[in-house]
Amino acid sequence: MTNELATDAAQPSLADSLAVARDRFRSASREARGGAVESETFSAEMDVLLGRIYADATSETDTPVALIAIGGYGRCQLCLHSDIDLLILFGGPIEASEERIVKALLHPLWDLGLAVGHQIRQLSELEQPEVDNPEFLTAVTNARFLAGEASLFDGFTQEVLSPRSAWRQPTVDALCQLVADRHHTFNSTIYQLEPDIKEAPGALRDINAIRTLAELTQPETGRAVPLTAGRLDEALDEAEEFFLRIRSLLHLENRRNLNGLSHEHQVTVADRFSSPGSEERTQVEALMSVYFHHARIIARILSAALAETRPSTEEVEIREVGDNLQRGPDGVSFIDTVRASLRPQSWLRLFQTAIDEGCAVAPDTLAFVERHGDRYTSEEFFHGTDERDQFLHFLTPQAGLYGRLSEMHENGLLGRMFPEFRKIYCRVIRDFYHKYTVDEHTLLTIRNLSDLADPESTRRQRFASLLAELREPELIVLALMFHDVGKWTNKNHAEESVRMVVGPLRRLRISPESIRTVEFLIRHHLQMSVAAFRRDNEDPEVARQFARLVGTEERLKMLCLLTLADIQAVSPDTLTPWKEELLWRLYVDTYNHLTLGYGDEVIATGQPNLADIKAHRPPEISEQQITDFLAGLPQRYLRLVDPRTIYDHVRLSQDLEPEEVRLHLDRQDDVWELSVATKDRPRIFSNICGVLSYFGMDILRGQAMSNSQNVVLDLFRFVDADRFLALNEAGSSELTRLLQDVVTGETDLASMLKGREAGSRGRRGRPPVRTLVHFDHHYSDRYTVLEIGGSNQWGLLHRISRVISEHGCDIDLVLISTEGDRAIDVFHLTRNGAKLSPEMEQDLRTDLEEALVE
Amino acid sequence: MKLVKAIVRPNKVDAVKEALASCSAAGMTVSEVRGHGRQRGHSAMYRGREYEVSLLPKMRIETVVPDDMVEDVIEAISEAARTGEIGDGRVFVLPVEESRNIRTGERDVV
Repeated sequence: MTNELATDAAQPSLADSLAVARDRFRSASREARGGAVESETFSAEMDVLLGRIYADATSETDTPVALIAIGGYGRCQLCLHSDIDLLILFGGPIEASEERIVKALLHPLWDLGLAVGHQIRQLSELEQPEVDNPEFLTAVTNARFLAGEASLFDGFTQEVLSPRSAWRQPTVDALCQLVADRHHTFNSTIYQLEPDIKEAPGALRDINAIRTLAELTQPETGRAVPLTAGRLDEALDEAEEFFLRIRSLLHLENRRNLNGLSHEHQVTVADRFSSPGSEERTQVEALMSVYFHHARIIARILSAALAETRPSTEEVEIREVGDNLQRGPDGVSFIDTVRASLRPQSWLRLFQTAIDEGCAVAPDTLAFVERHGDRYTSEEFFHGTDERDQFLHFLTPQAGLYGRLSEMHENGLLGRMFPEFRKIYCRVIRDFYHKYTVDEHTLLTIRNLSDLADPESTRRQRFASLLAELREPELIVLALMFHDVGKWTNKNHAEESVRMVVGPLRRLRISPESIRTVEFLIRHHLQMSVAAFRRDNEDPEVARQFARLVGTEERLKMLCLLTLADIQAVSPDTLTPWKEELLWRLYVDTYNHLTLGYGDEVIATGQPNLADIKAHRPPEISEQQITDFLAGLPQRYLRLVDPRTIYDHVRLSQDLEPEEVRLHLDRQDDVWELSVATKDRPRIFSNICGVLSYFGMDILRGQAMSNSQNVVLDLFRFVDADRFLALNEAGSSELTRLLQDVVTGETDLASMLKGREAGSRGRRGRPPVRTLVHFDHHYSDRYTVLEIGGSNQWGLLHRISRVISEHGCDIDLVLISTEGDRAIDVFHLTRNGAKLSPEMEQDLRTDLEEALVE
Repeated sequence: MKLVKAIVRPNKVDAVKEALASCSAAGMTVSEVRGHGRQRGHSAMYRGREYEVSLLPKMRIETVVPDDMVEDVIEAISEAARTGEIGDGRVFVLPVEESRNIRTGERDVV
């Protein structure tokens, strides 16, 4: 047996030696010099200590034994209070005398107060890799001989670390899995406000992972970084030195092995590092800016290293995937870079194509965009409405959006397109809850929203269903992008964000209605949290007030989803099931107020918000005409309809003859919008629905209301399922004529529909949806509110409304919506001007249930 | 020493915290919980579907106080959390055998 490290009877005690070594390290740490050199020196001093302990311990056996440093100690990166990771390796069976050696080795270490992570093996046990022990697999990659039988260590090296070792691939797999699991606990982002200098993504463990992966996958090259990472060896060393120095200060301050760089520690570290800045806050920001700079580089190199562990089994052919775009093994890139460099407005398509292809943008191309981005102003990225439409399409919540936006942020493109976003670059806001920088928090909100769009996901399905119903979900993403840009200053950040979003919305040429929506969402992005978590969720007034704030179901859904995504992006633990439940309940209560309780709030002639509508009226419409038209309509009408449409409706309803029907048809993509004005009479709603059904229209949404002048206004959105209007130039007038004839009684609609009803029954093949007829007595004082849910069958609305009319009920207000194959219709009813009696409700329910299963 | 455990409406937590601070309660633990008392929840409708709301979101506030403070603390919590409506919550008082400060090892200090 050989002993590498001889002992000397005159030397100081182990405790004194350790104290001296620690004192030296403490002094260096205090001066922010506790980097790689000091760690190595401290490790060497620990080696000497262990040599002395080993010399005293091994006199009791003839079995070959080797003391091996593994893990961080193996890498010579011991910090003040690091664990001492050891492998005690025996060349023969481990019996009583070997156990005595183990005790003789460990007890002095424990007596010194050291935390020891020890593994004990005999060489023959290492013939097979320990696949169920990933930490051990990765720790031994850093094995370093300390003392004992050198030939035993050689045997170990041959078995475990040689290029052809059976341990190699399981170690790569284990390391990849450990990295993934660890990153997951940090929400997979480097932008931690209080990062753990050892464990956080982009920090020390990742550096070690890079070096280990490079060694395991490219043993011949002798490189410290993967080939694809480029010339980043020096950057890796710099980052490591920075992190090690911070870690030594943290150990010094904490007096234990704690590596969290808390806000308080940031102040101390910034001071010791002499970070630039005239005050504490700016010094800390400067420190964290350097931290994120290093972490970003580490993340980029690690990503390349991980990619190299997954070599493609088949050759990926380079193929064209769009104008001047190609897809290769490392992602989407430009074909002609000179051409691309001259057309910055085409760069967005690069990222859009990567989303469509389900891959990243090629690293070289990201670097290309970074190099050339400085040449262009924000206006030059959005020349016209084509670029606007492309950008809005790009913002559709979907898989890959977060990844591509992060790439655009990392290479500076996002900040060049929107300098307002650059204001929150690595912005640190200190509070008890937020875990990430403002820019990363913002991108995470978009990731959270995109996750809801994943059809494979079963999480948060109730919220996912809201997202699927939205007409313009990209507006939530647009609002999320800018909801916190106001945090660059310490003012009211919501209002500041609204002020700052004006420029981007103008440059993008967003429509006025969408601008109002985005500004609303940003201005009120904290309101739903306040109402859900800080108000009494059982007080109906809370939902009523919130309903007034949001105004429409569409905005309610958007604000709800934005709030959910925002809370979830604060930290991994902030969105608890408890909070989710409170948020959902406020959503449901508010939704019910908007759809069941809106009838009691009607427009009064003198209310102040009509002044603007009157002031901007076209010359041919008088103030009185507007007043007369609006009086008696539900307040909801003003929230749903823009002033231009109100003027159209005023025109439509002027001087109506008793039996006259006027309609206005408009088309947006595949959806038609129909406005009908006529004098109120029995069955009018039923007849309109019947006529639309006769022409094969699939009604998506609709509402019916009447004003004090007895004018009925019915609004429908429908799909021309049989392409009647699309294929007939005179389709619109044919529809008007039939409607007129049905209203005046010249045509018998019931007999016309009979033939079609029979045909539609034969076509039914969809799974049955449970029907429900519910009378609500909670939300309205004026009306009996009838809620009907059932299969979205052909002619359903006509059948329902016919039954209601046959019971002598007046349909005062209607809301129609569809949810997949399910129709949800809400009718506000009266009979002879009063609510229905319980008996009337029961009779109506019986007949409706019968009609629904016909 | 007694453990005072209060179940209150979520929006009343801040008021209860302030009330406890004003009567010098040393510390507290706040948790998000769900449950029901005599309210037993209710059914609600959403888009023509009925669903049960059986477990209502509440907050649990726990504090350990000396015996002679118990009544004051109960009074402070009740005053702060009361709306007069069903669902205001409950206050429970449990005996505490012993407490130790983990860092210093001190006994029975609250």
